[in-house]
Amino acid sequence: MTLPHEQLSTSVSVASASSEVSAPATAPKRKLRCSVRGAKKSFGQNPILRGVDLDIEEGAFAVLVGPSGCGKSTLLRLVAGLEELDEGTIHLGERDVTHAPPRDRDVAMVFQSYALYPHLSVRENLAFGLKLRKTSDKDIDERVREASKMLSLGELLDRMPKQLSGGQKQRVAMGRAIVRRPQIFLFDEPLSNLDAALRAEVRVEIRRNHDQLRATTLYVTHDQVEAMTLADTLWVMNGGVVEQKGTPLDVYERPRSEFVAGFLGSPQMNFFDAKLEKEGDRWLAIGEGARIAIGEERFGAALTEGRTVRAGVRPHDLVRAEEGQPIAGNLHVEIIEALGFEAIAHGWLTASGPRVIARLDADEARKAKSGDSIPLAVTPGSAHLFDPKTGLALDAK
Amino acid sequence: MRNRAIFLLFCAICAIAIPGCGEPAKSIVLWHAYRGREESAIELLARRYEEQHPGVTVDLLSIPFDAYSSKLGAAIPRAHGPDLFIDANERLGVYLRDGLVAPVGDALPDAEVGAYDKTSVDAVTLGGVRYAVPLTNKCLALYVNDALVKSDPKSIEEISRLRASLPDDVYPLAYEAPNSFFHAPFLYAFGGRMLDDRGRFAFQGEAAAKSIDFVRDLTLARVVPVEPDGALVTRLFASGHAATAINGPWMMSELEGTVSYHVIPLPPIEAAASSSTHGEMKPLLTVEGVMLSPTGAEREEVRAFARYLAGEDSALLRAGLGQQVVARSDVWQNDLIASDLKLKAFHDAARAAVPMPTSPAMRAAWVPANQAIVKVLRGDAKSVDALEEAAARFADAMRPQPPPPSPAPLLVALGAILLGLAFYAVRRAQNPSFRVAVRKSMPAYRYVAHAAIVIFALVIVPLAAGALASFFAGTETHPLYVGMTNYVRILTARGGPLLGHGSFYLTLLVTVLWTLANVTLHVAIGLVLGVALSRPLLRFKAIYRVLLILPWAVPSYVTALAWKGMFHRQFGAVNAILKALGAEPVSWFSHFSTAFAANVATNVWLGFPFMMVVTLGALTSIPKDVLEAAEVDGATRLQRFFKVTLPLLKPTLLPAVVLGAVWTFNMFNVVFLVSGGEPDDSTDILVSDAYRWAFTRDAQYGYAAAYAVLIFFLLLGGTRLLGKVAGSEEGIT
Repeated sequence: MTLPHEQLSTSVSVASASSEVSAPATAPKRKLRCSVRGAKKSFGQNPILRGVDLDIEEGAFAVLVGPSGCGKSTLLRLVAGLEELDEGTIHLGERDVTHAPPRDRDVAMVFQSYALYPHLSVRENLAFGLKLRKTSDKDIDERVREASKMLSLGELLDRMPKQLSGGQKQRVAMGRAIVRRPQIFLFDEPLSNLDAALRAEVRVEIRRNHDQLRATTLYVTHDQVEAMTLADTLWVMNGGVVEQKGTPLDVYERPRSEFVAGFLGSPQMNFFDAKLEKEGDRWLAIGEGARIAIGEERFGAALTEGRTVRAGVRPHDLVRAEEGQPIAGNLHVEIIEALGFEAIAHGWLTASGPRVIARLDADEARKAKSGDSIPLAVTPGSAHLFDPKTGLALDAK
Repeated sequence: MRNRAIFLLFCAICAIAIPGCGEPAKSIVLWHAYRGREESAIELLARRYEEQHPGVTVDLLSIPFDAYSSKLGAAIPRAHGPDLFIDANERLGVYLRDGLVAPVGDALPDAEVGAYDKTSVDAVTLGGVRYAVPLTNKCLALYVNDALVKSDPKSIEEISRLRASLPDDVYPLAYEAPNSFFHAPFLYAFGGRMLDDRGRFAFQGEAAAKSIDFVRDLTLARVVPVEPDGALVTRLFASGHAATAINGPWMMSELEGTVSYHVIPLPPIEAAASSSTHGEMKPLLTVEGVMLSPTGAEREEVRAFARYLAGEDSALLRAGLGQQVVARSDVWQNDLIASDLKLKAFHDAARAAVPMPTSPAMRAAWVPANQAIVKVLRGDAKSVDALEEAAARFADAMRPQPPPPSPAPLLVALGAILLGLAFYAVRRAQNPSFRVAVRKSMPAYRYVAHAAIVIFALVIVPLAAGALASFFAGTETHPLYVGMTNYVRILTARGGPLLGHGSFYLTLLVTVLWTLANVTLHVAIGLVLGVALSRPLLRFKAIYRVLLILPWAVPSYVTALAWKGMFHRQFGAVNAILKALGAEPVSWFSHFSTAFAANVATNVWLGFPFMMVVTLGALTSIPKDVLEAAEVDGATRLQRFFKVTLPLLKPTLLPAVVLGAVWTFNMFNVVFLVSGGEPDDSTDILVSDAYRWAFTRDAQYGYAAAYAVLIFFLLLGGTRLLGKVAGSEEGIT
């Protein structure tokens, strides 16, 4: 979490964090497996996608994340061919598939509801797509065996879907995609019907399978934990456009906008209306009851005295002030959520100010109680600044 | 609350029961099937009689004609029938056999016989005893269109010569040619008859053959329309498309305000004149009279009322107000009555008429006779052969009952079953765990008790009664135990060839074919329309849905009759379309294949909405995701339907198919009303055949009951088999 981002940007091959169309001239090192250009789609009068570009490199795991209604599922269904674009193009590999039906796209999809064929056994479910493609029985057998080994489906092969648990169904749905060996795997919120423990387990399994198969994957979720943990490239969508793309850590550490900053990270980032002031050689964002230290090297020329900004600090960067540390504000504790290894404190800095969430150590949490006042400090260099009008980060390029 | 409910129930029972418990009131109960003017007249007469005889009350009960005789048969032996009733003489034979009528005695004393028409009195006299007081004569006469016919035709040949002068779409003579009642005048003109003196089938031989051939020639010459039914004859004549029509007085009321016409007795047939006859057309005479039930005949005031109804004053009123062709010769001396020339013509026609045979055998004679006429008119058979076949069919229906076997085997079997059941019940009852289980489920039994009672009373009891009836022959009043004979006869095709005419196996084959064809088409059309209607982007979906469900909402007999009309050879819409397309019109009911197709078309029209609604319902339960998964997996639209949609519909469709198969197997309405078994009973299915055994072939209720029991077991076996198929699919959802 605290890795310097300079290091990160070299370790993962992300072309750019901009949502601008990257011209083919600036081609990435690896081949594009899927590229969507200028995708627009409305349902009736209701625009869902307002011009989206999406590139997935061969073998990459791309995750579309965003709140419900942001258009991420629609984008996935457009790639699958289940919906048709109003405007724009879709390429899979070299082929333009904008108007091709799903069966001509060579894609495989895992549905949120799993969508297993209820009248077919697990084995027949796996083999269904292959049979339609007139694959030889021998090949089918082999591929089913391979997939069932990979997903430990061996004992389930002759069961009917209704005899399976949720997790088992999920694995069968993945198996059905894997046996197809498609150009691209599409996942539509595949974990949202599982309970929390199973979700974590399957999440790991999905990543492991991907690492093993190196298959190009487009994954849609509204769960930022899934998004952060699974993605090679993260695409944050909002209101029918891509707000930001990049490696998960890059996006987490350098959110391009207040929306992205607020959407990624749990608990949510604290925001303060503030004014920039220089005290000695230190820049401060002064808000109601808050004095937040700003890292000058990050924002540079964007810092001008008296500028109104939205200052954002993640709860994990808002901690009890050690002795001698500059105090960013005093938290009037309302509720403490003890999580064991740490605790989350909810409260206010001033009675009229915004709600604030801070992180406490487990020891501190044990001592603190509702009504206490706790002095808080900001981890140096962790504060984000956003323009209150555009919502963009002051350091956004 | 509960006490009040019980009290109310008690009151309700009393209200129903008490009027029946009291002293029998001294009123006179008269049943009739009159409508319109005739009903007004009889009501007025009853009120007048009450005024003239203080203390006597007359209760009139109007019974629908179709149910009339069966109601009499059910009510009189149980002593809650009428004291007297008005009915036609031809039913006397059956009523007499069943003990429903008694001699009229002094209601028609010898002294008054002279006042009545002789033929009318003869018609109600059996073995020298009079069983009714004649009221009216009903027989056929010739309706003549005043505008189309200049002078009264002197012979049928003269009518047929009108062909040359009449426009192409006007028939010289319209009458229900395929109906042997309307054919009878032709038969008698050639010297034939329906039954001989001993009640045997006499509609055969040279005279009968000649009469049919004569009519066939008239049809071929387009003098007579092809296969008209009663409604069509009326329509043709009323619209001026028939110059003359042979019909009874009942057509007069339907002609009011249409064409100008008059009525004359039927003219003779020149071609039939020989040394023995003058070729006179003699219609069958139905004499309606007052008949007395055995209890009514014992009461003097009932007999007096019967005499009053038939008396001179009443006759004047019935003729004047009721427009009846009264059966008294003296009334026709009255100028006022005689001035109604139409009525008088019918009265004149009645004098030359032949009284309708009263033998119960007549009931079994109509259908074979009709079939023979139809066959010849269609050119499917020579008249001699067709009549021979008719005689054989009559004999088949009227074959004598076998000697009654000993009822011992049945009683022993019943006893053994009862003993076994009792033994089983005692064994179960002795088991303590069983008793505990029963006590535990008592509340549950209380909940289902009312349903069990209703099902027992309305389903189990009639079923058992029907099954029991299958061991008997004879009539309801004179049942004759015959053991398994009915079953043996059915299953051996009555000694004829196993797939011969009217054999159980042939009918079963037709029924199976009928069921398969219908259910297949129901499901196919229902599926296609259901799937089409469930498409989300379809416009005006609600309108299509309503339109397509409409056939289901119309009563099936209405649909059946409408379709029968559409398949009419000359006037039906189907042939009109064929003609417009330049194709030859098809005589739909003269071949098995076309008649069967007409039946199937009608029943498919009736049946597909059910399957469509089931499909629509089942389709909503198929998750959209699964179809999309198949789409992504590479399935085409057809593959998605056959490999995903259809298998998922199956669990819902199968029970519907079982239901549909049972309904179709027993779809009496369509078969009976559309083809009516035509041609030659070949399109009959088991239920319609059973109906014929019970109601048109000498009332063989036991034989029909055996049919019903066999149908029951066939369906039981069939549904169990289909249920097993369905059961094996249960793992799906």
